[in-house]
Amino acid sequence: MDWECCWKKKEITAAECPFIAEGEEVLYGALQQRIMEKCLECPRFRNDMERLKDSGDPLSGILPLVVAEYLEQKAKMASMTNFVNRKTREMRFLHELSVVLQTSMDLDEVLSVAMTAITAGKGFGMNRAFLLMADKDRQYLKGYLGVGPRNYEEAWQIWQDIDRTNDSLHGMARTFQKTKLLSEKVKFQDVLEKLSVPLTDETHILNRALRGKKPVLVENAFHNPDVDPELAAVLGVDCFLVMPLISRKRRIGVIVADNCVTHKPITVQDMQSMETFAFPVAFALERASLYERLREELSKLTAANVKLKEQQELIVKMEKMALVGKITSSIAHSIRNPLMIIGGFARSLLKNSDENDKRRAQIETIVAEAKQLENVLAEVLSYSDSLFPAMDMWDVNQLVNSVYVEMLERLKQRGIDGHLDQTTDLPMVWIDYKQISYCVRALIINSMEVMADNGAIWLKTSREGDCVVVEISDNGPAMPEEIRESLTTPFVDTQELGSGSGLPVCRAILERHGNEFIIEDRPGGGTIYKMKLPIKKGEPMHE
Amino acid sequence: MSKLLVVDDEANIRLLYSQELTDEGYEVITAATAAEAVEQLKTHEVDLVVLDIKLKNESGIELLQQIVKERHDLPVILSSAFSLYKDDFSAWLADAYVVKSSDLQELKDEIRRVLEKKGRLKAG
Repeated sequence: MDWECCWKKKEITAAECPFIAEGEEVLYGALQQRIMEKCLECPRFRNDMERLKDSGDPLSGILPLVVAEYLEQKAKMASMTNFVNRKTREMRFLHELSVVLQTSMDLDEVLSVAMTAITAGKGFGMNRAFLLMADKDRQYLKGYLGVGPRNYEEAWQIWQDIDRTNDSLHGMARTFQKTKLLSEKVKFQDVLEKLSVPLTDETHILNRALRGKKPVLVENAFHNPDVDPELAAVLGVDCFLVMPLISRKRRIGVIVADNCVTHKPITVQDMQSMETFAFPVAFALERASLYERLREELSKLTAANVKLKEQQELIVKMEKMALVGKITSSIAHSIRNPLMIIGGFARSLLKNSDENDKRRAQIETIVAEAKQLENVLAEVLSYSDSLFPAMDMWDVNQLVNSVYVEMLERLKQRGIDGHLDQTTDLPMVWIDYKQISYCVRALIINSMEVMADNGAIWLKTSREGDCVVVEISDNGPAMPEEIRESLTTPFVDTQELGSGSGLPVCRAILERHGNEFIIEDRPGGGTIYKMKLPIKKGEPMHE
Repeated sequence: MSKLLVVDDEANIRLLYSQELTDEGYEVITAATAAEAVEQLKTHEVDLVVLDIKLKNESGIELLQQIVKERHDLPVILSSAFSLYKDDFSAWLADAYVVKSSDLQELKDEIRRVLEKKGRLKAG
């Protein structure tokens, strides 16, 4: 019998079987393989079997049954292979994902990987995803990051970009972190701001997913009584998936994913795949958040350490200065009485001596020198006084105003213009009133001494963070750097600075208060002195 | 003539104050200790006391408190080498506070001001 199909021929040519495609040429000579792969599904073979039936052969009734069973088994095998292949891909993807998630401590990297995995085609292929995280006080779930296109045009662009790259998930996540994380945060700002759910609202669908520890597939969202209409309106989609993120029984957050552009239905299989992914993401997010918090605390601790070291150094310095101060104060007081007696009697002699008395010039010298020594003593004593502050809350504007009024006459005598610029409603400051008054006065006097007549001095008060700033500036000559540096040493010989001790005393007072004293050039010439006074009550450094 | 009592443990200061204040037209008596001062106050009709805060082994502030307690109408001017006492509340009991200086003008001005205020400025 001539058969239509080629199953009887050991070798065939291309013309004899139209179903052998390019690349399958080996089948021309491989009979068994050809029969199993091609002939059993070939219409010609089915015709041959019909003819066999007609021939009355006893096997003709069995053969179609065997063929049908074989084809069914083959289809099942193909379906299983497909399933296994898909699961293998999924496993590989999850493995790749978990490797990254397990090793990363960087919150941004974890976010990038997680959100790329949800939205990338080779991942779960959702169009868009939002991450809501529990806030530090565990009061609210708050929108933290959104990823995905806002419209079809943008989606098209993203898919084209993805087609062009052949990156691994990690590579894509890295690119995302570098180029898009920031812009994505901004892009969905309006949506993220509206995504805020109190963790105590147990009826809310997001909290229900957290409580059930299982993903929830939300369908018909706009008419679903279980869904907060506000959430449906913000997302603008009818179908979305809620994936709870729970790590060690702690509610980390929720991922809400949807297909806002393609509107492809979300299947139960999608949901199951994402469920496997939820735990490593939650764990990594928690770990990265904790790590970030740890880093914050560490940087606070480092800053506190630096501050402590500075304070310790300052205390050591102050202890030395206090000792110096006590000694100086004791010496100065024991000098003051004899000095007063010398000067006092000299004045008395001068007053009672004859105008032509030859000794008059000598007595005048004694009077002048004694006075000079008394002035030096007063400065030394004011310096040692400065080492014993009496702190309280004071109105700095009242202080500045009072010194300004007191100095006004002296400024006028020198032809110097005084300007007072005070910010109203300033908070009270924690200072030693007498000492800060001394500083303001000393800085004005210092400016007066170094500047030419007809100059100008400005007094300004303002608020700066937790401080009130008192600023004294002049349009006199700029202060040379070496003099600025030498100001850390008390009673340094700085003739250019007038009598010399005002500025070091100011520095000593402000340092002792733990306050900042800044000296800088004034644009256009002159010097600016800034004292930063705290508005919060602090601990006194010394009794 | 107003009578002043100068209390200071330093003899030369007592001498200087006596000369200068006598030249100003006051009658001046002096005391070196708190006990002497109390004695002087008993025997003399004093119009004003110039009191040093640090007397030898004694506190001028305590004497001030005693004077204020017993003779509340008697004005006292504190004179001291320590400017710190200006901020001591107990020193505020005094009518004035003068830091010691070879130039006695401030002391003289304060004496005149306080005496005038208290109606105790008497012409010599």
